[in-house]
Amino acid sequence: MATTDLRSLLDPASLAIADQAIAEVGTDRRTLPVAFPSLPRRVGRERCGTTRVHIDGADVDLAGFRTCDVAAAVVLRATAATDAECLDLWSHGDLDERVMLLRSLHFLPVGPLTVQLFGEVQRTNVVSHLEAAVGDGDLFARTAGRFGFDQAAANRLLLKVAFLDVPLARLFHAERTANAELSRMLQDLATEREAAGRPVWRDTWRLIGRAPCPGSLARLLGGIEHGDDGVRLAAAEGLLAAGRTEFAALAAERLPRESRPAIRALLQQLSARR
Amino acid sequence: MLIFEPHIHMYSRVTDDYERMSLAGVRAVLEPAFWLGQPRTQLGSFVDYFDTLIGWERHRAQQFGIWHFCTMGLNPREANDDRVNKDVLSVLPRYCSKDGVVGIGEIGLDDQTPKEETFMAAQIELAKQLGLPVLVHTPHRDKKKGFERCIAIVKASGLPMERVLLDHGNEETIKITRDLGCWSGFSIYPNTKMDPARMVAIVLEYGVERMVVNSAADWGVSDPMMVPRTAVKLEQAGVPRSKIEQLVWKNPIAFFAQSGRLTEAMLAKPARANLRETFDGNSVLRGQDPDKL
Repeated sequence: MATTDLRSLLDPASLAIADQAIAEVGTDRRTLPVAFPSLPRRVGRERCGTTRVHIDGADVDLAGFRTCDVAAAVVLRATAATDAECLDLWSHGDLDERVMLLRSLHFLPVGPLTVQLFGEVQRTNVVSHLEAAVGDGDLFARTAGRFGFDQAAANRLLLKVAFLDVPLARLFHAERTANAELSRMLQDLATEREAAGRPVWRDTWRLIGRAPCPGSLARLLGGIEHGDDGVRLAAAEGLLAAGRTEFAALAAERLPRESRPAIRALLQQLSARR
Repeated sequence: MLIFEPHIHMYSRVTDDYERMSLAGVRAVLEPAFWLGQPRTQLGSFVDYFDTLIGWERHRAQQFGIWHFCTMGLNPREANDDRVNKDVLSVLPRYCSKDGVVGIGEIGLDDQTPKEETFMAAQIELAKQLGLPVLVHTPHRDKKKGFERCIAIVKASGLPMERVLLDHGNEETIKITRDLGCWSGFSIYPNTKMDPARMVAIVLEYGVERMVVNSAADWGVSDPMMVPRTAVKLEQAGVPRSKIEQLVWKNPIAFFAQSGRLTEAMLAKPARANLRETFDGNSVLRGQDPDKL
């Protein structure tokens, strides 16, 4: 994965605009709430790229970031915006300004601000804000266990991710935070959804395999017979992660009836664990 | 025919109004910041209201495919209130810098006091700094004199006249404004101000150049359907559809497009109505489906 510099993601014209804002804020910090919302108009909202890169310790997918998001991060970093200033931008920002601020978090030091805004995202239920805060990067994983973002808080946020059907793959390395209590929460949500005839978050099967709780193994086994390709794939991955050997025969039994190559490959690994 | 409603206070209106307006062709609304029926006693009340205009109200409108824009300002009534006037002026630059805020207003005169003039002039200066158009509320009492005073304040400021919309006009004020180069707004009310028939007469006599019509619907007896109703009356009176379209769609867009934050192309499609989205955790969905409108 390439390593790059945040400022290099901006073209010269956009960088000049960001530098002008930095200079203005440097002279008078009261101009930050004026400069910040004008960034989308001035630098645009185009996507920054399509690649996954490392930027100062952050692992991000540029496909999720817009030019104005990067410009916002450049400004907030260069001006050493305080938590209070950032919270002020959040409190009085419109939906799009809040997206910029949340995207900027990926490039700011993880700290109490990160955790507080995770809490806001958890509370407000706005999908674009949840995606901006924890999607397309490893911010969730980098924050887990720090600054009061304990397992219970992380579990609640991941449950919200499941509730709003945001793919786990967008939260880089979040699977490392799997734990039995999270599995119980996800399974309870799955049961509610099934009772209501609604689809279940596919990544449920991936995560419960990593940290099974009562009921997980039965759900995983059922998953490899599910009619949805995505569920079968996630269930096979979950079973592999569970590291159990007693299901090899069941995997072998499923194998001849499985048409998807990716799932077949996983079932072959499982069946080899006799 | 698409309609841009250039002056309506949706904050004071119910959801049914959004639905009826959407069904009648209203694609976008402009909500000027105004008074709230009773005096606000502290800055925080203004700040929360401004946040509502750029947040919750925008969300409500989008549920019906309606684009929501606003103007920000200290209204003339509360310009007289020393508990809040200076503080409100101090927070306006941040709110006037936001996308979706396409002008400053409604500012102007009401009781025509010296304080009203001071704060009107200060806000025009802000408009000059930010390159924004200005929506001017003109007095309901002693109107002709107040109208002329508003014009004098604008002229003294040096703000180009084409960036000024003098609102709540009537048969008398159009005689003053038609040659000034500014824009004229006409608020069509069920009982007071203007009515559709009088508006038809004005259009037949003066045409539609630099002219907009609005409902100015708010807390009181008013009707958010007044722009569609007026469009129907104009058509029945034989006004060409192209002229009516200019009056109710192209003109308000042209005026507020001077902010650089609004284009007709933006409005080609209805505002995004995503029923999965909430605002601050709230949706107020009651089973309505804007996608089926």
